[in-house]
Amino acid sequence: MSAKVEWNRRSFIKGAALAGAVPLIAGGSMAQQPSKQSQEVPSGQVPKKPLGRTGVQVAAMGLGGYHLGSAETDQAANEIVAKALDHGVDFFDNAWEYHNGLSEERLGKALRGKRQQAFLMTKVCTHGREKKIAMRMLEESLRRLQTDHLDLWQIHEVVYDNDPDLIFAPNGAAEALLAAKQQGKVRFVGFTGHKDPEIHLKMLSHDFPFDTVQMPLNCCDATFRSFETHVLPEANRRGIAALGMKSLGGSGELVRHGAVTPEQGLRYAMSLPVTTTISGVDTMQVLDQNLKIAVNFQPLAAAEMQALRDQCRVVAADGRLELFKMTTKYDGKVGREQHHFPTTQELPL
Amino acid sequence: MPQSSSGTIPLRKFGRTDARISALGFGGHHLGEAPDEKTAVEIVHQAVDGGITFFDNCWEYRRGKTEVWMGIGLKGRRDKVFLMSKTCPHGRDASLALQMLEESLRRLQTDHLDLWQVHGMAFDNDAALFIRPNGAAEALEKAKKDGKVRFVGFTGHHNPKVHLAMLNTGFPFDSVQMPLNAFDANFRSFEQQVLPELIKRGIAPLGMKPLNGHGDAIKNGAITAEEALRYAMSLPVATTITGMDSLEVLHQNLQIAQDFTPMSEAEMSALRDRCKTDAADGRFELYKLSLKFDNPEARLAHGFPLDTQQFEVKDMFGVEMNTGHPWPEKKFQ
Repeated sequence: MSAKVEWNRRSFIKGAALAGAVPLIAGGSMAQQPSKQSQEVPSGQVPKKPLGRTGVQVAAMGLGGYHLGSAETDQAANEIVAKALDHGVDFFDNAWEYHNGLSEERLGKALRGKRQQAFLMTKVCTHGREKKIAMRMLEESLRRLQTDHLDLWQIHEVVYDNDPDLIFAPNGAAEALLAAKQQGKVRFVGFTGHKDPEIHLKMLSHDFPFDTVQMPLNCCDATFRSFETHVLPEANRRGIAALGMKSLGGSGELVRHGAVTPEQGLRYAMSLPVTTTISGVDTMQVLDQNLKIAVNFQPLAAAEMQALRDQCRVVAADGRLELFKMTTKYDGKVGREQHHFPTTQELPL
Repeated sequence: MPQSSSGTIPLRKFGRTDARISALGFGGHHLGEAPDEKTAVEIVHQAVDGGITFFDNCWEYRRGKTEVWMGIGLKGRRDKVFLMSKTCPHGRDASLALQMLEESLRRLQTDHLDLWQVHGMAFDNDAALFIRPNGAAEALEKAKKDGKVRFVGFTGHHNPKVHLAMLNTGFPFDSVQMPLNAFDANFRSFEQQVLPELIKRGIAPLGMKPLNGHGDAIKNGAITAEEALRYAMSLPVATTITGMDSLEVLHQNLQIAQDFTPMSEAEMSALRDRCKTDAADGRFELYKLSLKFDNPEARLAHGFPLDTQQFEVKDMFGVEMNTGHPWPEKKFQ
């Protein structure tokens, strides 16, 4: 029930974007939906890349946890996870608040007996609250994921201008990360956010020993409030593993509006100096499409990347294909509540 | 006549020029919300009598209505004021910008503007479009050289980065207009990022939206009108432009401006701190956030899609207002 509410928040974007009265890009190719027939996935594995300075290697494509909760059934989610693992996708993303726990529960079941093969990440959702709430969320995540430790634990959705202050306040979430690491419950720690490169830079400026930082990276981001330009070089400089997300705009906006094909979008994101590109998958068709691109992945040449940036520059300039930077529509309910902000529905955005 | 409608407001230096302007500026957009021409003219008269010398306007406000009403209100008073209007090519050619200038001059019933600004820099490609060959930059240069405008600048409310990109074009702007208020101080802040750069370059900073554009934070009780206006006026700006759609609002503003003493640094800091939590998601500054608050004329000029449910779009295409002619269908000598 509440999982459904959560889903509606995102499906709204589809409706809003498609209702635009004026064609977005004249002559743009229509969205390429994956075909209904299962596509031929080449045999072979998704290549591995080093996770920052940790000495660990993970797959260059990660499986996004949010969409696992959107899959039609538990069985469908199981099959997606199994097939991803078979092709070397060992990086699994999740968050305490996705679909009110359903995403974590599904991943926990799907990884039963396979925990050793996976690099398991989830996120903590204190949204400014204190350490002890973070630790309680960690215990819940471990239970739902049916494991005694996480490979990576990140602070979720650092998107408001006062978040860094709240996280680094005495007794804040930053202290929870250190405690969990010390207790051996998590191997590595990081943070995530989709809103504003400056907020990410403020987080990094605290010189906290983050192992990872997650951010939106795609062909439109390259020229609009750009994480690629502002945050990625700083993460690389500090030896912090960069984790890319929203390679197609969060809900496929870039593809649906003809800015890029799925292959262009994913290959662009994967060709950046990141460890992995996390992509959400809710059907086997989408998984097959992604695996076709990621198995035997070859990076784009610099000139090809520049051509894609140029291709997207004009549609990128008002941010409508990256609504997570522009509006509250991608902001989670828990985060807004904890900041005492009105809900997305209450705002004229 | 109410006491506050006659008096003086402190004058401040307009950047590196010799001109001086009143510390409170008269916002043009809201003049179009006055119930009728007579009221609008009375508001303008009392504003001049009350010591306001800086008058803001824009080619595209209310399809020309605000320029026409201000022109009528300033008849015989033109020499007492520093008159600004804005041009709205939104990335299009210099020739279009200059055509708009001629229309603004005719509606405002004058042969020159004291300040002419490029309106509404909002999108990440606006600076590149402005400075390109045959872009609006060439119109500003020409209008100044032809003596039709004394000074030139640009405005925008969306993103400090866009303002910085405009400054980095190297164009010799005399003024830059931006939102400055106690919420801006902690959210995508023009105060932090743009204002110091202007002072360094000797460009006149013009503040706007001291009450957050629509006064939402005041209606919500987060801040009072007096606190908000005094905060904005206490910043190192040449003027603070605020809209006045009734004599009541005018008198309230005149009172604050005529009695104005700057806030202390401690008072300003306390107010910033008080507003910080409410500022952090930007909901009181929707002009920085939302596609819905984008100017539809600018979106159209950029080839961006319009939201037909948006009030401004309905207004733009509205049957009752849109006769296919500029407002009003009336001849001026």
